Amino acid sequence: MLLELDDVTKVFRGGTRGVDGVTLRLGPGLVGLLGPNGAGKSSLMRIAATVTRPTSGRVLFDGADAVTRPDRLRRTLGYLPQDFSVYPHLSAPEFLAYLAAVKGLPAGAARNRIGELLDFFGLAGAGRRPLGSYSGGMLRRVGIAQALLADPAVLIVDEPTAGLDPEERVVVRNLLADLAGDRIVVLSTHIVSDVESVAADIAIMAGGRLLTRGSPASLLRRAEGRVWEMTVPPDAVAPLRERHLVSRMVRTDAGVRVRVLAPAAPAQAAAPAPPDLEDAYLTITQAAAGPVASGAAQARP
Amino acid sequence: MSIRVLAALAVADFRERTRRPAYLVTLAAAVALGWLALPPASSLYMIMNAGGYRGIYNSAWTGTGTALAGSLWLMLGGFYVVRGAIARDQRTRVGQILAVTPLRSTGYLAGKFLSNLMVLASMAGALAVTALALQLARGESTAVDPGALLLPYLLLTLPVLAVTAAAAILFDTIPVLRGGLGNIAWFFLWMITAIAGGGVPLGGLGTIGASMRQAMAAQHLRPSEFSVGFTKVAHPLATFTWHGLAASGGFVAGRLVLITATVCLAVLPAAWFGRFDPARARPRRAPAPRGDQEPAPVPAVMTAPGQPTSPARAPACQPLSPATARPGRAAGRLLAGESRILAQGTSRWWWLVAAAINAAALAVPAGLVKPAGASTALLLSAAWIWPVLIWSRLGTQRHENGLDTLLGAYPAARRQLAAEWAAGLALTAAAGIGPLIRMAIAAGCPGVAAWAAGALFIPSLALALGTASRTHRPFQALYVILWYAAVNQVKAADYMGTVLVGGRPAGPSSVMIAALALVLLAAAFIISVARHARR
Repeated sequence: MLLELDDVTKVFRGGTRGVDGVTLRLGPGLVGLLGPNGAGKSSLMRIAATVTRPTSGRVLFDGADAVTRPDRLRRTLGYLPQDFSVYPHLSAPEFLAYLAAVKGLPAGAARNRIGELLDFFGLAGAGRRPLGSYSGGMLRRVGIAQALLADPAVLIVDEPTAGLDPEERVVVRNLLADLAGDRIVVLSTHIVSDVESVAADIAIMAGGRLLTRGSPASLLRRAEGRVWEMTVPPDAVAPLRERHLVSRMVRTDAGVRVRVLAPAAPAQAAAPAPPDLEDAYLTITQAAAGPVASGAAQARP
Repeated sequence: MSIRVLAALAVADFRERTRRPAYLVTLAAAVALGWLALPPASSLYMIMNAGGYRGIYNSAWTGTGTALAGSLWLMLGGFYVVRGAIARDQRTRVGQILAVTPLRSTGYLAGKFLSNLMVLASMAGALAVTALALQLARGESTAVDPGALLLPYLLLTLPVLAVTAAAAILFDTIPVLRGGLGNIAWFFLWMITAIAGGGVPLGGLGTIGASMRQAMAAQHLRPSEFSVGFTKVAHPLATFTWHGLAASGGFVAGRLVLITATVCLAVLPAAWFGRFDPARARPRRAPAPRGDQEPAPVPAVMTAPGQPTSPARAPACQPLSPATARPGRAAGRLLAGESRILAQGTSRWWWLVAAAINAAALAVPAGLVKPAGASTALLLSAAWIWPVLIWSRLGTQRHENGLDTLLGAYPAARRQLAAEWAAGLALTAAAGIGPLIRMAIAAGCPGVAAWAAGALFIPSLALALGTASRTHRPFQALYVILWYAAVNQVKAADYMGTVLVGGRPAGPSSVMIAALALVLLAAAFIISVARHARR
């Protein structure tokens, strides 16, 4: 089982390049797709899910063209879009039954599956309540449930934890990790901790391009020797931020404890710190943004 | 509120609307209206008939002719173009941002009114430019008199547009008129206003007519009745020269009072306008929970029954039953799902009225209304206007509810559209089942055939318009006009076999209506496929 995106580019009306020459080969397992807002992650997810046609490039599912003949992939695809919506007057069982029929699931299997999914996601108690009365978190759970309707071989989820509380986020992440055993799972998000906790394979995008792909360990190596921590007086923070990317700041009685990304020690008092995935992510995206953009980003509050 | 704030509100809203491709369509419609209002000299139809004459195409006549046509048709079409300004702010949540500013409700409503008026005025402006272009193109008078061209717009069209802009605001703020019912109510309100004004809403034709009669008398001509509207004539009309309206002070004052009154009408809803407070909105109609009055409590996190909420103990997904999609399965359930979506939120009262109409069709004695079959035709007309708001959802719901992206990743897009159409067909058939049974019992084969063609035609029209426009309004407006024409015995518009001559349908043949239905259905599929191909 293989989903391939081969040199995929999407140019929107007006000339904006949403996705720019991305190549990805996705086999069973979970790939975490990270990137800042506007990086092109959702556009790439929509292309992989056959919602959007690429301007150029190919999408192949087990070697077959999924752009011109998308139904084969669609039958075995579970997709949760970033902007998931529902028919507000239907209840969750009615909505899922409708989507199961669109998908072509046999009646008995659909009924069992829907019942189990509603139980699993804690939605069975909502009974016949219309979806329009659900909270944001409940709707997100309905969204994840619909993505799992057809026992998907390919699961593409775009910001699946948006609107969920911390416990719900943990459950969704564990679920994705469970499912990734024998399926292709693509988790797109800009929340580094979501990816960090489940993905052994991480791709980072920015400006429509794929910047890098690798294991967490290989990404961490990119930030080694570039992460520093120190405590500075409050009035020293602003000059520091003009020169370097300050990724964390905590005010303490002794001053402001800062974590700085810099190629060399930013001050004598700075102590090297072991990088985490967020440091690696920031290092890679900052390097890709170039010196001008990097400078602008450094000036961010 | 300062003029600056009012202008900022109106201009922002105006920009938002005019930067959509649909706005160009409305301008094109205004140009087409101008073209229709000033036909070539050899034409056998007229929009403004001055008692068997027409004026030579100088600035006064072209300006007045297009201004009157604009008053009549922009009042109808323009309403559907501009309405929904407040609903848009609700949908985009811009309204909630505005609601927490010092902006007063009257100021907000005045800004929306002004924006509505600007959109309508821009359409009238396109009409005026068309009038000037056609005056020069027709070549009967090349002397351009801007005053004579534009004065009718200021005195006749502008007050009508102001009323339309204000009514759109008023309808948007009254819950019962906010949706499709308001669209239908406006059609009848427009018709009453137009009839009362002799073809010109809010009057003015009398003053124009008097001025023209004076001019014709000076040219020794004797006109008959004046009319505004699409009129066929046996031969091209003779011409006279008219240099325009010399409006009296009283007439101008009357129009100014009318415009002032519409401004008051536009800000009147401030008395009940909820400023986008969800707590003041009408509660969403929803199925009542079974059993208890309160909805059943929903677990805060995803837990299997009997398990604690700790994430560490969250169940894995392994026990889920296998479920594999198979092509071609589930057509019946897909139809059931589409039917449920189509009828979602419809109240029990709606179904009761639909059932009552059908019961009446079965129960009314045969000879009660002459000629034979007239009572069934009448009740079929009633049965097939009642679901207009539900039909108008066809082709729009996916977009309206934001499911385009999700369903775009589901298989068999054409099968989904076919199921949506079939749900519309099933609703149409169910809504008119009583008259069908009655006709079948009376062995009225032509009536049954016409019924079948109508049942195919209505959902096809709704699906085609809905798929093309992705809004309810075009179908609501067009269908009501078509239905009204059929009910008023216009044979050419009879799509359901209710115009009877000798007890038999006298309208277009059933085959032709069915063929038209198929063309519309094919159009819906083509639009859908083309849109999908551009994804």
